[in-house]
Amino acid sequence: MAAATREVYWNVGPVWPMYLMFAAALAVFGHGFYHRHYKLWRLGRAERRGASPRERLRGLALYALAQLRVLRDRYSGVFHLLFSWGIAVLTVGTLVVMVHQDFGIPVMRGRFYLYFQSLTLDIFGLLAMAGVAMAAAKRYLIRPDRLNTNAMDGLALGALFVILAQGFALEGLRIAATGDPWAAWSPIGSAIAAGVKALGWSVETARAWHAALWWSHAALAFAAIAALPWTKAFHLVTGPANIYFRSLEPKGALRPLDLEASETLGAARLTDFSVKDLFDLSACMECGRCQQACPAYNTGKPLSPKMVILDLRGHLREAGPGLLAARRRGGAAGAGGGDGAGGSAGAHAGAGTGGAAGVGGVAGAGPQAGEGPSPLIGQVIAEETLWSCTTCRACMTECPVFIEHVPKIIDLRRYLVMERSDFPPGMQEAMRGLEARGHPFRGATASRSDWYRDLGVPEMAEVGDAREIDVLHWAGCAAAFDERNQRVARAFARVMQRAGVRFAVLGPEENCTGDPARRIGHEYLFQVLARQNIATLQGYGVTRIVTACPHCFNTLKNEYPRFGGEFEVIHHSRFIARLLAEGRLRLSDGAGAGAARRLTYHDPCYLGRYNDTYDEPRAVLDRLPGSERVEMTRSRDRGFCCGGGGGRAWLEETGARINHARAGEAVGTGADTIAAACPFCLMMLEDGVKARQGEREVSVRDLAELVEETTRPREAGKGGGGGADGEGGGGGGH
Amino acid sequence: MRIVVCVKQVLDPELPQRDFRLDPDGKEAAPGRASRVISTFDEIALEVALQLREKAGGGQVTALTLGGKPAEEALRKALAMTADAAVRVDDDGLGAPGEGLGRLDGFAVAAVLAAAIRRLGGADLVLCGRQAADTDAGQVGLLLAEELGVPTVASAVSGEPAGEAVRLKRETPGGYEVVEARLPALATVTNADVNVPRIPKVKDVMASFKKPLTVWTAADLGVDPAATAPRVALRRLFIPERETACEMVGGDSPEAQAEALAERILALKVLETRGWRHAGAGLRFRPGGGAGQAASGTDRRRPRPGGVPGR
Repeated sequence: MAAATREVYWNVGPVWPMYLMFAAALAVFGHGFYHRHYKLWRLGRAERRGASPRERLRGLALYALAQLRVLRDRYSGVFHLLFSWGIAVLTVGTLVVMVHQDFGIPVMRGRFYLYFQSLTLDIFGLLAMAGVAMAAAKRYLIRPDRLNTNAMDGLALGALFVILAQGFALEGLRIAATGDPWAAWSPIGSAIAAGVKALGWSVETARAWHAALWWSHAALAFAAIAALPWTKAFHLVTGPANIYFRSLEPKGALRPLDLEASETLGAARLTDFSVKDLFDLSACMECGRCQQACPAYNTGKPLSPKMVILDLRGHLREAGPGLLAARRRGGAAGAGGGDGAGGSAGAHAGAGTGGAAGVGGVAGAGPQAGEGPSPLIGQVIAEETLWSCTTCRACMTECPVFIEHVPKIIDLRRYLVMERSDFPPGMQEAMRGLEARGHPFRGATASRSDWYRDLGVPEMAEVGDAREIDVLHWAGCAAAFDERNQRVARAFARVMQRAGVRFAVLGPEENCTGDPARRIGHEYLFQVLARQNIATLQGYGVTRIVTACPHCFNTLKNEYPRFGGEFEVIHHSRFIARLLAEGRLRLSDGAGAGAARRLTYHDPCYLGRYNDTYDEPRAVLDRLPGSERVEMTRSRDRGFCCGGGGGRAWLEETGARINHARAGEAVGTGADTIAAACPFCLMMLEDGVKARQGEREVSVRDLAELVEETTRPREAGKGGGGGADGEGGGGGGH
Repeated sequence: MRIVVCVKQVLDPELPQRDFRLDPDGKEAAPGRASRVISTFDEIALEVALQLREKAGGGQVTALTLGGKPAEEALRKALAMTADAAVRVDDDGLGAPGEGLGRLDGFAVAAVLAAAIRRLGGADLVLCGRQAADTDAGQVGLLLAEELGVPTVASAVSGEPAGEAVRLKRETPGGYEVVEARLPALATVTNADVNVPRIPKVKDVMASFKKPLTVWTAADLGVDPAATAPRVALRRLFIPERETACEMVGGDSPEAQAEALAERILALKVLETRGWRHAGAGLRFRPGGGAGQAASGTDRRRPRPGGVPGR
């Protein structure tokens, strides 16, 4: 066995032309890498993404080697794993030949030769071919909507298949011609050799075919390497790099914007994006998983996260060279500061489109004053596309290479909102409300203190010092101003009272956290609100905050630290779960709450995908007596948005409604109660359920309400509305 | 064209009713936690002025207010909307003693504003909102035109320069009319689709904090405080009491509830009863049918546009 080996470069004649071909392939690859990608990335603003290399390497292992994200689609994940690992192992096999022959280290012999170089390579080669076949079946037979197929795809799959098949044919011909004594270790090669013999080929014929095949195999493999930068297989290079340089910031924190120093607020052109944003564009391999998960796309809105990336990439390739040339000419005019601080009055006079100013929507698509060359919005990405995003993060959760879609959309929105004041009227109203009243609900008839007026909930102004309380209850605007959510706030307050939690509210001193402003793109307003709230909270020495709103939760927890507000922030689902686990709440044995009930839980995006809280809300539901919990098909990190995020709650939806789709899915589980843990989800789903009414009675309840009714003290629990819990008083009576 | 826009700061007209309080002296709305905003029509007047400046290809828009220090916030907002200059006339010591709404009447305000405009060197066009969002009196604009001795056009919605005149569009119930006023002139402004106030750009907002504000006192303007005593006295200011009663209608089934409701409505004699009973008996109440549409959450989140009186 120790003698086991084979002759390297058998039958191929002089080998030096291969090295020449390889060098040529590398040169072509380098040219494409530089001109088609690298130099274009450098158009972006500088961004540092190198910190915490250990964490980054861990991600590389999980997502590039183990391909956990790719495996989220089981079928595609399996075939990708098969051919990517197949090719990787075969490449190692090729490198082994190089080490053996060129470095003169005789590794290709003995056990290693038999186990790895013969048997393992045969197995991986076969698996890779199976993977390619599965990929072709997916693309040409199953044809999911997420894939756009062109000739290039067929060519790439075909080439890959041919290269692999050539490898096996070479092995078979060699075995047939040489009578290799170790042939049994190469089962596929042996089988082919048997076939060759069956055909009755002479040794000479086999040798002639072998030589020709060997050179065409090399040529095809090198051509494939050379072509990489021009194909989406380039993600072989950019994918892992993109995974390595992924954002390690909290998922829920949008990147802050320096309002004083930024020349342009938001992104008007390619050069306003960061290097990483442009790198993302090269990493996309067009798998369309983002699009498949997108609630906007799935309900027929003019948004596909995939197309956002591809359109930006197309534009980068088209306009990038021109921008680079302009930059090289030293022209700050081209890529640089077209619209400096120089006189906003002038800009106004120039851009004024008469009476339309400020009304929005009608502004022409043409370049606006100060935008410089190649404006993105209107030309490359439509405004309606930007406003269709609910910022639910489903796209970013699916992307196998961690492309950041949402931050790009927000940057484009920032430009529209802050530089052009051009955004949908519904959102304008919400922003005016935030500015004038600190909440986004136009025409609210309630005041911030209405919901707790009769509950004996103290305000911080009365308590004075946060050391007097266990936790501050951040109610949020929805709880204060939306009648339906006032009931949730009341239920949660009662639950805390029953558990003996000492808490207080800010009441009239509370302002919107700024989440809607930030997601709509009004970073300035967000920062004003954030600073105000942080000052108020710190003024009372608040350290712990509990809130029933995942949007408030996310902003307080993940976004305020960048502005100096460090608090321990807990979502009410986790808080209640803890109270239950500690035995601080007594659940009735089901007598009060009524008969058996089927529940389904809807994951709010800003609690689930953004903050990885999936189990606590379910733990709370599972403790409710007489309840059975069923899951929707799309749940946990695959949860389908309610349609209310990203400022969409203030816009009318056109066509099919996201909330109707989601409500339909929830009702389809056979549940009679949809449990929510977010005021916006609650409103959206309740609307969705109402639209389907007549089918079946389904109620939408917040976790706190469900817990409240099962912890209700016996004596108050009989009649419908009687006793201490008379509802409805919280809302606006008139 | 030199345009002066008179802006008044008022308590947020969208203040929820239950948060609206009156001062113990009974003559002023208590600011409390209510925010202060530019009076609705004044903000619209500002928008019309800015559009006029754009159409004229230049000019100067000055925002002018009469009020205390907090009123400067209204001027900042005007500057953020890209007004070129802002002037506050301090109201300290003017009118009747006290703080109440009745302290200054329309005559006095018009006189002080006129003095300020003269001090500014006059204006080609003065724009005022057609009425203030707090008092709804609708007097100052017209009285100011009288003080300045200039022609006046009421309830304009937009304007454009026309040589030595200004061409103003007025909306009428059947359409609109276009009038030309010889300059200098004054117009009061009302709302329309074409003059929705712009949302300031963030850079303009930030720049507005760096722009200078001019502050004048009555003495600077040569106004005799004694002459500003109100000729119309406010006697009483009150929130109307409204009694509401809520009654739950019982019943075990939707049919029984509907029956009980109908009985109750009849007993309250708020409907004529002709044929009611007969028709009612034939009605079948479908559980849940239609009720959902009646109270959609969309309506709840976005109640009808309010805050613009007279729309």
